[in-house]
Amino acid sequence: MEKFKNSPIVKKIGLNRILLVGVLIVMYIIFAIISPTFLSYSRILSALNYVYFLGFLSLGVTFVIATGGIDFSIGPVMFCCALVAGYSLTSYGVPMPAAMVISILVGACFGIFNGYLVAYCSIPPFIVSMASMNIAKGLASVFTKTQSVSWPQSSAEGGWYRNLVKMGNIPVGLFIFLAVAVVCAIILNKSKIGRYILCLGSNKEAVRLSGVNVKKWEMTAYIICGTLAGISAIFFVSAYTTVQPGYGDTYNNEAIAGCVMGGTSMAGGLASISGTVIGVFIIALLQEGIMALGLNKNFQLIITGIIVIAAVYFDVMGRRRKN
Amino acid sequence: MGDVILTMKGIDKSFPGVHALDHVNLEVRKGEVHALMGENGAGKSTLMKVLTGIYTKDSGTITYEGKEIEFHNTREAQDAGIVIVHQELNMLNHLTVAQNIFIGREFKKGIRIDDKRMNEEARKLFNKLNIDIDPTAMMGDLTVGKQQMCEIAKAISHEAKVIIFDEPSAALTESEIEELFKIIRDLREQNLGIVYISHRMDEIKVITDRVTVMRDGTYVGTLITKDCTKNDIINMMVGRVIYEDPKTHSMVPDDAPVILKVENLNAGKMVQNVSFELRKGEILGFSGLMGAGRTETARAIFGADPKESGDIYINGEKVTINNPQDAVKLGIGYLSEDRKRYGVAVQKTVAENTTLATLDEFVNGILIDKKKETEIAQKFVDSLATKTPSVDQLVVNLSGGNQQKVVIAKWLTRNSDILIFDEPTRGIDVGAKSEIYKLMNKLAEEGKSIIMISSEMTEILRMSDRIVIMCEGKITGTIDISEATQENIMNLATREIG
Repeated sequence: MEKFKNSPIVKKIGLNRILLVGVLIVMYIIFAIISPTFLSYSRILSALNYVYFLGFLSLGVTFVIATGGIDFSIGPVMFCCALVAGYSLTSYGVPMPAAMVISILVGACFGIFNGYLVAYCSIPPFIVSMASMNIAKGLASVFTKTQSVSWPQSSAEGGWYRNLVKMGNIPVGLFIFLAVAVVCAIILNKSKIGRYILCLGSNKEAVRLSGVNVKKWEMTAYIICGTLAGISAIFFVSAYTTVQPGYGDTYNNEAIAGCVMGGTSMAGGLASISGTVIGVFIIALLQEGIMALGLNKNFQLIITGIIVIAAVYFDVMGRRRKN
Repeated sequence: MGDVILTMKGIDKSFPGVHALDHVNLEVRKGEVHALMGENGAGKSTLMKVLTGIYTKDSGTITYEGKEIEFHNTREAQDAGIVIVHQELNMLNHLTVAQNIFIGREFKKGIRIDDKRMNEEARKLFNKLNIDIDPTAMMGDLTVGKQQMCEIAKAISHEAKVIIFDEPSAALTESEIEELFKIIRDLREQNLGIVYISHRMDEIKVITDRVTVMRDGTYVGTLITKDCTKNDIINMMVGRVIYEDPKTHSMVPDDAPVILKVENLNAGKMVQNVSFELRKGEILGFSGLMGAGRTETARAIFGADPKESGDIYINGEKVTINNPQDAVKLGIGYLSEDRKRYGVAVQKTVAENTTLATLDEFVNGILIDKKKETEIAQKFVDSLATKTPSVDQLVVNLSGGNQQKVVIAKWLTRNSDILIFDEPTRGIDVGAKSEIYKLMNKLAEEGKSIIMISSEMTEILRMSDRIVIMCEGKITGTIDISEATQENIMNLATREIG
């Protein structure tokens, strides 16, 4: 084990991520034994539907958590984007490309709102995002007059958007998601934005005293998060078409769980996009597996809750050992 | 000196990649003050953490009162009578003195906390130590010195037999240090074993009986204090010649232009009508007691805290500095007294910290040029002799002196013309200190202008070309180095202002 731990390849990839991939594979094998349908391609495709929208949420919240903040509004914001854009589509006859832009803009606006209040008004992110979660839910309900909204079916006019998830049997969504993840990883690890976000997550005051506009960069993290929630909404409706106002909170925890499981520290300053991607796959597989086992959705809530606590606990303990 | 109370023998401790303690020995007798000395990173704190159970040793033995022991946490060590008085005070400001001393083991009357009894017990403790502190006072209202006394009283109240002082004098004024020494001597009379960790050579000679010196995690030797000279100890600590070259006259040419001019600066109670000039190539010392308003002045100039009024001129031009961004753009760099909080992002690497103030220069399109960044960081690691395995090392793993060098590298990368060094050598060992002095002199020779805030008189006298003295938020005088003496500085620093 020691030898394995210290080998250069393991060090480069990170033990944590290797273990996570292991967990993912073991989980898949267990589910496949219990329910052989897991081996079928169409089942895998439908399981991937969950990965896409959750993945974009999780990627986004990784940036926010990297600053040492948190965003509990992403799930309802994602629903709000899907509802506002979908309602514009169905009731005001907005064309499909414009509806997509609306979805992304609504998400970005929530990002600006959250980011401004956190960075410039110094309101704790917990409070801000709790409040904007309710605002997102309320706003969506008001806008849609509390009606659920159905985006067009594949055969209907504008139905081409569903190809974003799956074209025939090709999982287009997977490629898009991985491409966005690569872009996120470059932004986080190689660009100025990511550097400032990680550094201010580690010690905001030191970064400020280095003459960096910390407020701007902190807000940027929230804008990235909100924008990705807007993109997430498009993939949600591409997979499931129908959205109901008043929901979406459960996806917060799932997105955050995927992120912290992947090695992003709740204390800020440390984040891993590849970890988040693997984490998202695990959460999505878990949700499919629970359904396959015939357990209801509530079990997934319990398990996600436990995962968040366990992941944060290990992070805190690891930190303490280092100090 | 009495019998041996504590023996640590052949203590060995490794962390991943670091051999922190290599068979270190320490012996403490009853009724002695035993100095533990060594440069930063020599392993003093690690040794004390092994003793009090914060770290587990890899090998070696600890014998305490004749029995071999191993503590698993500080609580166990405390119960056995070994306590640490930390350099950073762990006090709750909104509780009373007595409540702080007995925190976690309050006297109770039924389920109620018995404040009356705690006050009485605290008073008894203070009497025993000859300290004059009201147990019912709020901790936050006391001076740092008095708070330290409370910390000591708290340690004694554990029925301590061995007390470890970890740089107790770092934040104290001269008179408070006198008082501290009186207490330490009393404790020695009472036959306690005392370990005294400090960087201040003068104190070691005054207060300690024996000295154990460590270097790079190894045990160098133990001396009897009165039989050795200051230089003996220093040589054991660093194994090299120390830079001691006090200034006798200003090195600044008479025609050097004024680079920074501050006029009637006001920022709260701590900065009142502050005016001064800084010339090109000058090291301007800021002297004064704790709480004289020197750091506050620096922070206000740098834009870290808001100003109420006042004008700042750089190269004769009036400038507006509303935040650190403005200051950095104008070529000012600020090295804070509290590196961990304000200087470095400890979870980030040496390279990442080095380029923090200049990242724009390392951006190629949208991506950071890692190669260039590594090159520059490596250049400063070499030129400042920063001790780090690589520029990709996390700053948290460096010692205080080396962290300071990373902060200096950050501002050198920025090529700032005006550098504010706030307590540049606080918590830094003798060897690294002289390196930082050399560096500051070199910077001044190259035409950088330096404001150096320092509470160490020797540092002020050794480094400054001119000295500004502050007291209670006001400048009380400015002295040229050729006329400066310890006495006239002290007079100005303690001057009563009507």
